[in-house]
Amino acid sequence: MEDAWIKFGQTVICGILLGGMYSLIAIGMTLIMGVMKIINLAHGALVMVGMYVTYICSTNYGIDPYIGMFIAMPVLFLLGCLIQKYMINRLVEVDSILPENQVLLTVGIMLVLTEGIRLFFKSDYRSVVTSYSSNTVFLGDMSISVPLVIGFIIAMTFTFFLHMFLTKTDLGKSIRATSQDRDAAVFMGVNSSKITMITFGLGAALAAAGGSLLLPMFYLFPDVGHLFTAKSFIITILGGLGSTWGAAIGGLVIGLSESLGATYISMGYKDVVGLVMFILVLLFLPGGIRSLVKR
Amino acid sequence: MKKYRKILTVLLLVSFLALVTTGCGGDGDSADAVKVGVILPLTGSEAMFGEMEMNSFEMAYEELKAAGKTTVGGKEIKMMYEDDQGKQDVARSATEKLVNQDKVAMLSGGYSSACTNVIAGSAQTLNTPFLIVTGSSDDITRQGWNYVFRGTAAPASKYTGAFWDMMEKVVDPHSVAIIFENTDFGTSSSKGFRTECQKRGINIVFDQAYEHGAIDFKPMLANLRSTNPDMIFATSYVMDASMIVKQMKELDFNTKLFVGNGAGYTMPEFYQNAGAASDYVASTSLWVPNVAWPGAKDYFEKYKQKFGKEPDYHGAQAYATMYVIADALGRATDLTNEGIQKALKQTDIQTIMGPIKFEDWDGFTNQNKPNTYVVQWSKGKLEVIWPEDVKSASYVYPVPKWGER
Repeated sequence: MEDAWIKFGQTVICGILLGGMYSLIAIGMTLIMGVMKIINLAHGALVMVGMYVTYICSTNYGIDPYIGMFIAMPVLFLLGCLIQKYMINRLVEVDSILPENQVLLTVGIMLVLTEGIRLFFKSDYRSVVTSYSSNTVFLGDMSISVPLVIGFIIAMTFTFFLHMFLTKTDLGKSIRATSQDRDAAVFMGVNSSKITMITFGLGAALAAAGGSLLLPMFYLFPDVGHLFTAKSFIITILGGLGSTWGAAIGGLVIGLSESLGATYISMGYKDVVGLVMFILVLLFLPGGIRSLVKR
Repeated sequence: MKKYRKILTVLLLVSFLALVTTGCGGDGDSADAVKVGVILPLTGSEAMFGEMEMNSFEMAYEELKAAGKTTVGGKEIKMMYEDDQGKQDVARSATEKLVNQDKVAMLSGGYSSACTNVIAGSAQTLNTPFLIVTGSSDDITRQGWNYVFRGTAAPASKYTGAFWDMMEKVVDPHSVAIIFENTDFGTSSSKGFRTECQKRGINIVFDQAYEHGAIDFKPMLANLRSTNPDMIFATSYVMDASMIVKQMKELDFNTKLFVGNGAGYTMPEFYQNAGAASDYVASTSLWVPNVAWPGAKDYFEKYKQKFGKEPDYHGAQAYATMYVIADALGRATDLTNEGIQKALKQTDIQTIMGPIKFEDWDGFTNQNKPNTYVVQWSKGKLEVIWPEDVKSASYVYPVPKWGER
């Protein structure tokens, strides 16, 4: 009986910790979704590029991944802004291109980023080994890995600051206004093209942060992004399109349910658990977690 | 000004014509070539292996060219690489493109079992000889497909020849746990392992598949630990492999022996990522650089020097395959599909993967009988521990507990 409780506790804690990092990546996607009304399928690729930046900082300059993250974030913010300003905005301006088709551009960006990275780094698997990579803390008999705990704490801190930013600052309020009703926001004097640019940059920076937090315990290769795109897509739908808190809770729910599924069903069906939830949400709760709160 | 423009136009026209004619010349050349289509995952998550195999193909090709062995019957052998992205549908269209459009004389490549299966099926319907490099799921050469040949790769369930020998003489486990990636390769090899266990009366206490690319393997490992097996047998690709042993260390989960089934557990990346956790992990293997076959060590050194990276058995497979191709095409009496198929069937060649012959045995068609080894990691070095006559170090069994290392 004791053992069963330890196993349960370990499953729940690890699931929630991992979910926290999923949340951070998904929040980036949902922000972009809210303001631009398109799913950014290049999101995973941005996570991947962010991870590579942190990786270079760590292997070439010996910068710890958690500090390298603060280099990766501005770099990706800039990259996101540039992508938005010079690529996506140009498409948005053309009326004849339907928003659904703008998504195709993000697929193209994803391919360019992936192949570009492959050109420089080959397809090799890379990883950052830190002194604490495989350290664990023992909670009773439960072993929790240190990078998972640090990652979760940083991810939640970022989520909190992002929430403060969106609710308390002018810029944040403008972002929320644009996402609620773009036309009305423009009439109120919000510079919507600047807002979309900043939002995309912010989304990209959050993607980089999420990726960097995973780096000490995971690994990277040019195609690692698909994993994150799929995961954040599911979380974005689960949380309700464009809802930051929805995505944060959605990430935790997915992390937890995957972990429970892995322990009590089988690890072979780990992804199935997430996808089944995805279908159930679409069928019975199309608005996601956000619609629950609104009711 | 006008004059310049005229000159410029003429120049442009001339260069355009030159381009067109060289284009024609190129085409003319390739009509005189014997084309060999190679399908490998050059992008996607398996791209690392595809790259290594393509590099090895090219390296072998250059050596053969220097030795004058790339010209058969006055025609130059021309290698044409196609990317299957690790996806079955892409693999199929690549096969059809190579056969129908490029009119290749034969096909090679095939990394993942899933893709190899698709290529083999299409090659058989198109009556084009296909020499497999890596794809090793059992059923590929069990369909009676006479155009499909597998030389450098063992059927997944036979990776374990040397391993079982060692089990009988050294380990003698009473209970084992099986974990495997839920792909063709993982399923096929664990199926073979399961049958062997049943035959030998070994108790399987845990048997679970997992999804490739997971971050947290602890749920599975915690379940596994509670069954307390004598030995763990795992089939994984490289990064999952290192995640698994690292997390075993984190859980302080000790077992007498952890055996990987080739693939991920023999790659240099496994050690780079897993670090000290890789110590004492054993694995089955089809090839090791310090194996006794002539040329093996040379290949390893040359590759390392040329590409700045250590190759593993996947590269060796591609390298040896190139030699088999050149040998078969050189012997073929006529370069038709049937002629090449016949020449392949009569192959009897010594390569860096050992002798290669395509035989029909145990329900397999055109399948080489594999040489297998058991290797064990020791401080970042892969040592051959079995069979004893070719060993480079003695085995360590049972392995020390995490706390005592």
